Amino acid sequence: MWRGLEEAAADPAFLERAAAEFPGLAATMAEPCDRRQMLRLMAAAFAMGGLGGCDPGQPSGSLIPAVRIPPNIIPGIPNFYATAHVLDGYASGTVVKHDMGRPIKVDGNPNHPAGLGAADVFAQAEVLDFYDPDRAAQITAHGEPSDRQSLETALAAQRIALAGKHGAGLRILTGTVTSPTLAAQLDALLRQYPEARWHQWEPISRDAVLRGATAAYGRPVDVIAHLDRADIVLAIDSDLLSTTPGHLRYARDFASRRNPSRTPRMSRVYAIEPTPTLIGSVADHRFIAGPGELHQAVTALAAGILHGAADGSAPDWVGAVVADLKTAHGRALVHVGSDQPAALHMLALAMNEALGARGITFDLIEPVAHEPVDHAASLRALIAAMQAGQVSSLLILDSNPAFTTPATWGFTKALERVPFSLALAGREDETAMATTWFVPMVHAWESWSDARAYDGTATILQPQALPLYGGISAHEILGLYMGATPVEDEQAVKATWQDRLGGNVANGWADALANGVIPGTASPQTDLGLRSAAGRTTRTEASGGALSVLFRPDPSLWDGRFANNPWLQELPRPLTKLVWDNPLLVAPALAARMQLKSGDHVRLSIGTASVVAPVWIMPGQAPDCITALLGSGRRAVGAVGDGSGIDYYPLTGLDGAVVMHRERGREELASTVHHHLLLETPPEILRHGTLAEYTANPRFAANEHREPHIYRTLPPGPAAWAMSVDLNACIGCNACVIACQAENNIAVVGKQQVLREREMQWLRIDRYFEGTADAPESFFQPVLCMHCEQAPCEIVCPVGATVHDSEGLNVMIYNRCIGTRFCSNNCPYKVRRFNFYGYGYEQRRPAVSWNPDVTVRGRGVMEKCTYCIQRIAEARIVADRESRPVGEVRTACQTACPTQAFTFGNLADPQSAVSKRKRSPLDFAMLEAQNTQPRTTYEALVRNPNPAIKAGRA
Amino acid sequence: MSDIPTSRASAIGADLSAPLRGERRALHPDDPVLFPGVTIGSMTDRICAIALRERAFIWWWVAFVPCSALSLLLVISILYLFYAGIGIWGVDWPVMWGFAILSYVWWIAIASGGTIISALFFLVRAEWRTSINRVADSMMLFGAAAAGVYPILHLGRPWFAYWLFFYPNTMTLWAQFRSPLLWDFWALYTYVLASVLFWYLGLVPDLASVRDRATSRAKQVIYGFFALGFRGSRRQWKHLQATYAIMAAIMAPVVVSIHSVVGLDFAGGATVGWHSTEFPPFFVFGALLSGFAIVLLLVIPLRRLLRLEDMITGRHFDVLCKLLLTSSLFLAYGYLMDVFTTYYGGDRAERVMFTERLFGYYWTVYWGTILFNVALPQLMWFRRLRMNQIVVAAVCLGVVVGMWLERYEIVVTSLHRPHLPSSWGVYHGTFWDWSTLLGTVGMFLSGILLAVRYVPIIAMHEMRSLIGRSEARAAAAGRGP
Repeated sequence: MWRGLEEAAADPAFLERAAAEFPGLAATMAEPCDRRQMLRLMAAAFAMGGLGGCDPGQPSGSLIPAVRIPPNIIPGIPNFYATAHVLDGYASGTVVKHDMGRPIKVDGNPNHPAGLGAADVFAQAEVLDFYDPDRAAQITAHGEPSDRQSLETALAAQRIALAGKHGAGLRILTGTVTSPTLAAQLDALLRQYPEARWHQWEPISRDAVLRGATAAYGRPVDVIAHLDRADIVLAIDSDLLSTTPGHLRYARDFASRRNPSRTPRMSRVYAIEPTPTLIGSVADHRFIAGPGELHQAVTALAAGILHGAADGSAPDWVGAVVADLKTAHGRALVHVGSDQPAALHMLALAMNEALGARGITFDLIEPVAHEPVDHAASLRALIAAMQAGQVSSLLILDSNPAFTTPATWGFTKALERVPFSLALAGREDETAMATTWFVPMVHAWESWSDARAYDGTATILQPQALPLYGGISAHEILGLYMGATPVEDEQAVKATWQDRLGGNVANGWADALANGVIPGTASPQTDLGLRSAAGRTTRTEASGGALSVLFRPDPSLWDGRFANNPWLQELPRPLTKLVWDNPLLVAPALAARMQLKSGDHVRLSIGTASVVAPVWIMPGQAPDCITALLGSGRRAVGAVGDGSGIDYYPLTGLDGAVVMHRERGREELASTVHHHLLLETPPEILRHGTLAEYTANPRFAANEHREPHIYRTLPPGPAAWAMSVDLNACIGCNACVIACQAENNIAVVGKQQVLREREMQWLRIDRYFEGTADAPESFFQPVLCMHCEQAPCEIVCPVGATVHDSEGLNVMIYNRCIGTRFCSNNCPYKVRRFNFYGYGYEQRRPAVSWNPDVTVRGRGVMEKCTYCIQRIAEARIVADRESRPVGEVRTACQTACPTQAFTFGNLADPQSAVSKRKRSPLDFAMLEAQNTQPRTTYEALVRNPNPAIKAGRA
Repeated sequence: MSDIPTSRASAIGADLSAPLRGERRALHPDDPVLFPGVTIGSMTDRICAIALRERAFIWWWVAFVPCSALSLLLVISILYLFYAGIGIWGVDWPVMWGFAILSYVWWIAIASGGTIISALFFLVRAEWRTSINRVADSMMLFGAAAAGVYPILHLGRPWFAYWLFFYPNTMTLWAQFRSPLLWDFWALYTYVLASVLFWYLGLVPDLASVRDRATSRAKQVIYGFFALGFRGSRRQWKHLQATYAIMAAIMAPVVVSIHSVVGLDFAGGATVGWHSTEFPPFFVFGALLSGFAIVLLLVIPLRRLLRLEDMITGRHFDVLCKLLLTSSLFLAYGYLMDVFTTYYGGDRAERVMFTERLFGYYWTVYWGTILFNVALPQLMWFRRLRMNQIVVAAVCLGVVVGMWLERYEIVVTSLHRPHLPSSWGVYHGTFWDWSTLLGTVGMFLSGILLAVRYVPIIAMHEMRSLIGRSEARAAAAGRGP
């Protein structure tokens, strides 16, 4: 076995760290201060004005503390309100949990097609964004504080000026718009000012998807996939499971075909990609291809599928994949990620049509977005107009082009030529600081709106609280551009929907709010035919050996908008496990060639622009590709995100040659696993095999022996709580990690503390590699407290602070803990976390945002996963009150998981879901030889490789 | 001992203006335990004179000032620790135990070594023990004190340390008996208490001697107070000797138990690298080795500076060095078995950890341990080297460092490679870890120096008995058959 890449190279830099045995006095002394600076207690001024109560049914007005508690608020009983989380225009349904009127937790909405009850990390972390003390509260004009009165006066002047010239000179910049209300307002505004123009810009571009579909079908259409019906999936640099709209639903569908003990036919996934993606990491075959090779391979695949022609120069595996896809005619799916050029999207659509997939594994629907356009072209047209002095009034609705546009486009410079520019945004960001007016936007939880999901299903976004900081909504500001009469959000949204809610509008409205979806609003399918030109393949010459840079959204920060969210900053990225940092990801081969170690500084230049950044060696990366994650290096986002990481936007949009060379210096990068890049998966920890092995012996992964115990005493309680984790379902997406953090009041500790290995997440997703560093097979394994029946932690605690309860839970009594930390040493699974400092009390969040059912742990206390004991307690109370056995309990991780990897429940009930899952032939216990008898067990991972292909398998 | 003169028999108010000094002597392995010429009276005068000096030696100040400065550093480190929390230390997620535990084990071994010399060799009536008994006892006392601070500092919430005691409380909670930490807590404080008593008990007649020679009223009162009214009556001697013998008989098993229990702290865990039945005896071997090393390290300068060359002789060096060598060989056996059981046992995690221990990030720690604890003490096979104080001091210093490294290896290297690779990590002591460690070193040395300054540094009453026996033997030899 060889260990870390760093050590494998036996490099001096790694040994240098031995010299750090005695870290500098000054650095050590300074360290706690840095940390406190990072997690500075929120300003006293943030005194919770407006948090006193919330009733979405009430129109906003002055707030009077309730003498009698409102009828729908019962202390200790949470309320739930449906809404949606909107990212780049696309909604995923959420349910917000309120305690005493305060939003404290986000879960997915089971009624909503985009998540079916799951929620991604962004949606769940919205709680912290909502309570963020750095949100803007002050209208500014020319950098000076201003007020609503002055704003309305200024906009009245604008109206008069614009009315005279039919709106000439007015430009509006938004992101992707799916909100029917906003779309109607924009349309009305453009009717009122016919000379005005509307531009769209999302930094994480989906232009290629749009252009590919337009080229293939003649006009914009959206493609939605049905992975539950796909036997063979070909994922070409695909974002199906990670970022594409609807990815939560796709993940659910994907997982439904991955566990051979439950699905009659397991799917097979091929991935071709230059940099590891989530779907690539869980694929059965993963072919690594730089952009040139990838284009060639896809062309060859297309030639094989569309024309039956074999391409001699193509890799060996292409023929086998083509054959496999053709065999699965009508049950195959080809998907291309949004980062690939339009030509590949067009080819993929042609392949799908040729494979007879239409209507089975994919559907064509009318576009969900309102007036989809090419965003890059749209924004460049705006900038050109600004530079030409044609723009007299610019309205930027919740977009941050000053940060997210390529420097060469010159947005900020062009903005100086616009006499009246107004930015509406939640925080005073880079763009807001460059416009003449800045208006704080209310949070999505503070106003009414609507949005559509990936399949077009509409949701009404209802407010969850009265505005914390004041602010104006997008609907209101558009209203102010059109007339002096203020637009009420609620009225605007109601006006949009009242014709479409069926006979009884009031009931329809109430149902829409309660269910979180409006029935019958999914986009209709189209019967457009594929244009014949779509299948034309063009041969490209591979740009041999030239470096290229892939710009990808940060898995936790997206385009940078979440950079001030400490949960997301400290969320270990799925494949690198990095936190608070976004080094350039380079392939092991490239690093070896340039003699780079993780953390070494390089200068990456494209044309004239260059950035100095550390590198991170990423196994499975194509050797001629460098991945740069966008979203870090914010300059004006708030105390958490400012200056954290590197901003790669200045390198985007450039065509010049890519050059990378070594710079002096290096830095420590905070990763929760950087000490051990193993290329082995010890079988006592994670078991996996192939479908062939499973078919031969379904119990191939089962524990060798389970003998009766001499000393084993079963807890006498009525329930026996247990969990099963399906490794076939886990895609490493981190939804469970954030869910656990939110539910259990888990502290964020900051980069310095993570560097010192003191992260606090109770649930972590371990990532293993196997094979070679250049092309490893990767595995995910969520690890949480195993709740061992013979728990090693319990016997070593001298004060009995961790004990077994009657239902088999290994419970941690914070009040009794004196902090000997022996329990953590003795835990084979290392699931215990220790409060080395008083992290809980240093969090940058108001007290009302915590989960009131969970203790905030103090300094010097051990903590760990409790199986969400507060939820179990609640279920017990309900069961007691209703005089029945305790029923279903869902843990936070289980609820959030898009793939239903977690099953939790009562093992004493043989009919419970967890009992059934534990009877799976794949069930195994981690580190079984330790004889801890864990209540958490796993279902072994089965992969379904094509026996005809050796490549792409580690 | 009943045949020896009591302290009353010595001259009161001896002339201390010109303190009696022994001759300078080189070491020779055939030296007697005691050179002829040391008489009961001269010995008592000399030793009392050291304690009763008006002004301390210059060298004493030179040593005491930095040591007390380090003690002050300890106080600062502890105060800051209580203020900021143990986050100021280097402990992290896989390596939850660090300097606090490893230094604790190190100190307790040093203290135990002292006890073994003063109690175990008392029981076997080893004559060479007599003149170094008080040094060993003081080492036990201050070593135990240095060790005693750590278990409380180690806690995340030290203000609740009293929960380890069984005391009636409204929560009706007891401590948890199955935890080795609880056994350790009890063993440690039993040991600390017992060693204070043992040290003090042996000191009482000597304090009385000093009291009787006191040059000022204040000294007379203070020494008199601590002498507990010991007047050397036959009854008092009888009680004292019986109690002392009983205490010695208790101390010998207690010292074995304390260090075995410290070993169980680790062996009782299911942790990789700790789960080993050899730990309890192995830890006792370590205690022997570090005890002999520290005694030698203290004796070498004290013998010169206090001119005790006629009472601490080549014979002492010879015996101590041989014992050092023997315990080093014991320990080497332990190391060997450690390797053997790991690789013979075949547990993957154990092998990974041990291979890492041998060749990984902390390889210097392991090989440093072997070098200092096994390789260097082999020099003690040679008579000439045993008599070379510089070589002996170097070897002993090496052992002291080596024993600390051994604990570092046991605590840190074991913890940094647990079962799951995802929890692997490294550990470094921070400034505050080192300052606390150095602070306890300062405290230990300050204690020893204070003992040298104010307490008879040789157990005079036992010495008198030894001198009496030697003289009797010499007289018998002189008469001849």
